[in-house]
Amino acid sequence: MEKKLGIFICKGCRIGDAIGADSLCAKMMAELKPAVCHTHTALCSPAGMTFIADESRSAEVTGFVLAGCGRGTKDEVFRQENGILVERVNIREMVAWTMEPGAEDTVMAAEDYLRMGYAGLQQMTAVTPFILGDVSKEILVVGGGVAGLKAAIDGAENGYRVHLVEQAEGLGGWAARWQKQIPFDQPFSALRDPVVKGLINTVQQNDLITIHLNSSIERIDGQPGEFVVSLNGKHNTSLRVGSIVTATGWKPYRPDDKSLYGLGAVDGVITSVDLEAEVAAETMPRKDAVLFIQCAGSRDKEHLPYCSSVCCGISLKQAKYIRDRYPDTIVYIVYKDIRTPGFLEDFYKEIQDDPSIIFIRGAVNAVDQSGNRIGLKISDELLAETLMVEVDRVVLATGMVPNETTTLNLGYRLGKGIPELKYAFSDSHFICFPYETRRTGIYLAGGIRAPMDIPSAMEDGSGAMLKAIQMIEASIRGDAVHPRSGDQSYPELYLDRCTDCKRCTEECPFGTYDETSSGTPVVNPNRCRRCGICLGSCPERVISFADLSINMMSARIKAVEVPDEFEEKPRVLMFVCENDALPALEMAAREGMKINPYVRIIPVRCLGSVNRVWVSDALSKGYDGILQIGCKPGDDYQCHFIHGSELTGQRSESYEETLTSMMLEPERIRTEYVEITGASEIIAQIDAYMEEIELIGPNPFKDM
Amino acid sequence: MMTTLTPDIAFKKEIEHISGSSLSTCMQCGVCSVVCNLSPDEQPFPRKEMVYAGWGMREKLIGNPDVWMCHQCGDCSTSCPRGVNPADVLAATREASYRHYATPAFMGRLLSRPALLPLAILLPVLIIAAIIWMAGTLSIPDGAVNYSLFFPHAWLNASFTGLTLLSYGVAAIGITRFWKDLNRFSYESAGAKTGFFASFWKVKNEILAHSRFGRCERNNSRKISHFLVFYGFILLLLVTLYAIYAAVTDKYPLSLDNPFKILGNVSSVMLFAGLGMMIFNRLTKREGTERSSYADWLFLAAMFLLTLSGVLVQAARFLDWQSAYHLYFFHLVCVWFVIIYLPFTKFGHLVYRTVALTYAFSVNRK
Repeated sequence: MEKKLGIFICKGCRIGDAIGADSLCAKMMAELKPAVCHTHTALCSPAGMTFIADESRSAEVTGFVLAGCGRGTKDEVFRQENGILVERVNIREMVAWTMEPGAEDTVMAAEDYLRMGYAGLQQMTAVTPFILGDVSKEILVVGGGVAGLKAAIDGAENGYRVHLVEQAEGLGGWAARWQKQIPFDQPFSALRDPVVKGLINTVQQNDLITIHLNSSIERIDGQPGEFVVSLNGKHNTSLRVGSIVTATGWKPYRPDDKSLYGLGAVDGVITSVDLEAEVAAETMPRKDAVLFIQCAGSRDKEHLPYCSSVCCGISLKQAKYIRDRYPDTIVYIVYKDIRTPGFLEDFYKEIQDDPSIIFIRGAVNAVDQSGNRIGLKISDELLAETLMVEVDRVVLATGMVPNETTTLNLGYRLGKGIPELKYAFSDSHFICFPYETRRTGIYLAGGIRAPMDIPSAMEDGSGAMLKAIQMIEASIRGDAVHPRSGDQSYPELYLDRCTDCKRCTEECPFGTYDETSSGTPVVNPNRCRRCGICLGSCPERVISFADLSINMMSARIKAVEVPDEFEEKPRVLMFVCENDALPALEMAAREGMKINPYVRIIPVRCLGSVNRVWVSDALSKGYDGILQIGCKPGDDYQCHFIHGSELTGQRSESYEETLTSMMLEPERIRTEYVEITGASEIIAQIDAYMEEIELIGPNPFKDM
Repeated sequence: MMTTLTPDIAFKKEIEHISGSSLSTCMQCGVCSVVCNLSPDEQPFPRKEMVYAGWGMREKLIGNPDVWMCHQCGDCSTSCPRGVNPADVLAATREASYRHYATPAFMGRLLSRPALLPLAILLPVLIIAAIIWMAGTLSIPDGAVNYSLFFPHAWLNASFTGLTLLSYGVAAIGITRFWKDLNRFSYESAGAKTGFFASFWKVKNEILAHSRFGRCERNNSRKISHFLVFYGFILLLLVTLYAIYAAVTDKYPLSLDNPFKILGNVSSVMLFAGLGMMIFNRLTKREGTERSSYADWLFLAAMFLLTLSGVLVQAARFLDWQSAYHLYFFHLVCVWFVIIYLPFTKFGHLVYRTVALTYAFSVNRK
């Protein structure tokens, strides 16, 4: 279809006067020759919306540039249902509010943004969603502990068929082995009967839940909406499921190669899990004195650096086991800090009230056999004294270690398991994306995700199941899931030019790409989170989205009028990540801060989607520098696509090569990181970079 | 320092019982030590005592000089974020100490258990009656009130002096044990030790000036009440000694305008004022802080009744009351409670605190 494009410029929100909207419209009309160019006092008003509808219908435009506020503001108002393409150009926050109203530089910036928008629109095509023919509405839950049981129940109660796979011969996991459960609500004075029995009953009675005991996963292939799962068990079965909840749990920490408070060497030193087994078997012997060591191998550089969050509660519970059975036994609890978050503090206080439970804040320095007793040396932190004590049993409160996720046996190019984050747990992002993993459609719940107690694991089961349901429903519509929820574009590859370099398959954080035997990438669109990192990675520029392509962005970059005279008007191109950096910039605008009028900002899905060719395009065009701003990389990353901004850092080496080969200073490219709250920081980053560019001087390609 | 943990749960429960504080509630934050104006900067109290108490570490508390440096101002209890009362815990420890060092031990039990109060009263009643019987005057005399007709002065002075010396003499064994225990506590204090007498001299000055009490912040009225009782009692003691002298030299009874008589009456007014303040303070304490134990009330009651009965005995003499001799007998029982029972009641703090402070000063702990 022939493209016929228009331009609408909004004059509301103090935009009109700041940029001289009407003369801008006239200038663009003459320069870009769109079918129509109109200004309006408030395009988002009912009158404005009717105006857009009427004018675009009468001019028969196939798309238009909407200059005013940017994407993310009033999206639902400006969404066009009739197939008309819309390119939003943010001249409100990026120009009108942040540059001197009416100034020549301000008007030039507005002109450039319109040129960029128009150029982009010319390259844009309509998005056709990827929709599988037959999305499976069944859900696989791996692991029959509390998290898995709760997930299965919630899935079935919402009408989805659930396959619950458990490798053991019975359901319940660790929780089924505990004699009593830590109280989780008032009153905190008594231990509770484990809730897991009730969960097992519910699961067994629900017709929508199919239980596969003694089963393991041989292989998982496919993508959300159509995972193919081969089970190994009594009957080898193949399932087709839409999404997966992984609740394969944890194991108690027990080092093989290091000593841990005499565990395995001194008689009578056991772990909390051992004690639980004794209590369950009713074989816990009476002892005169029992000592618990908290953080045994936790919060310890030599062992587990993290806190498992449950061990304090467990030891308090087990102290009560002992005290309830043996009234003459003295229990010592040696701790660094007692961590009983929330209302569990009330349970701590209950236990404190027992005068025979003695709390010692300090560190155990030595555990030795002393006749048939155990002698300990404790350095007490409060009194700065060394305490000696003899007891009959030492219980180590050891932490939780996640099980391997490779038991999922994913048939993915990037490996059988789910990529690990900190401390071998596989969560995606603790705050922003709980339950998510870097394998779209596969969600984590319980001890595999983070150390946690039974109530939290159950809550996790519910949360992960909601995600799994959401995934299925999104697949049916062809929508992306979080964080680009509802995005229907997906990567399309022009394979004729692909050199099988595998960069896309390796750099995709989500394992979207598999490979043919010859190494050619195969896209699984439903695994894709639409970050565009593959597009940024591809040296052959074969990857594109319907509304984002290499050429589209190059056209935008080249559409800017770069003045020949540097002295007055340098130009800097900014790639700004739309997740954190762009909102930070918009916040700066709302707070009345000023953006340097010589920068031209292009929002990107992720800094990782910036392709090297855009850099050379910009430099050949005569921009004096390129500033990229993204989310903070590293272990505590903020990046919405896990390692997009990190990749940018790695790629900057190749940028430097590009610059050197063009005989340019490597300082012309700078990468900065900012948090979403960093409004003043991002302005400072821009200003600092502009000063640097002043020092470096003009791009010699300017007048070529 | 090496400490072997030997928790005495019964002791921990006893301290909790006396103080009415839950030791477990203490989160060992140390605010108590920070706000205490009496605590030394090095190894301050009462935080460490709170930790020891939580562990039931009897030997770290009984015989600990710091326990006696505390004057129960209650500043720590007021500031405690967990609502524990360290001041009361230390007071309870002192109370447990009277019992621990009581020699003979049954005297400690006798005066710490409310159930044994009748026996504690019966003991002086019987003994005093027996002495009077031995003197051959066990009947109410006729005529104008003359107490020496009922209890001859020689018998009175000899028996009470003898019994007091006996009580103190035996109790001294306990005090010696206390002194030994004090010596187990060493401190990282600078400089050489100060001699016993030099230390005692400084302690004496502090006691006379009530300078420690003066450092209390919240409860500083206690300095006044203690001051009144302290000096009222000392003056009355002097008057009593003069009265004994007067009796021996046959100048007894003293007339109302005798300077000693006047001094005695002024002293009783001081005592009434001080004791009244103390009782009022204890009755109007804020909920939960500074609990008054049986031992506190027993001692206060004995002092108050002693003063009251003394004044009444005097009045009965001048006014020739019929019940004069009954009052007199009652007064003597009160004297017994205060003076002869001294080492086993709260009055024992007179000795224990002085000894403990002397030790503390001798190791330069101030």
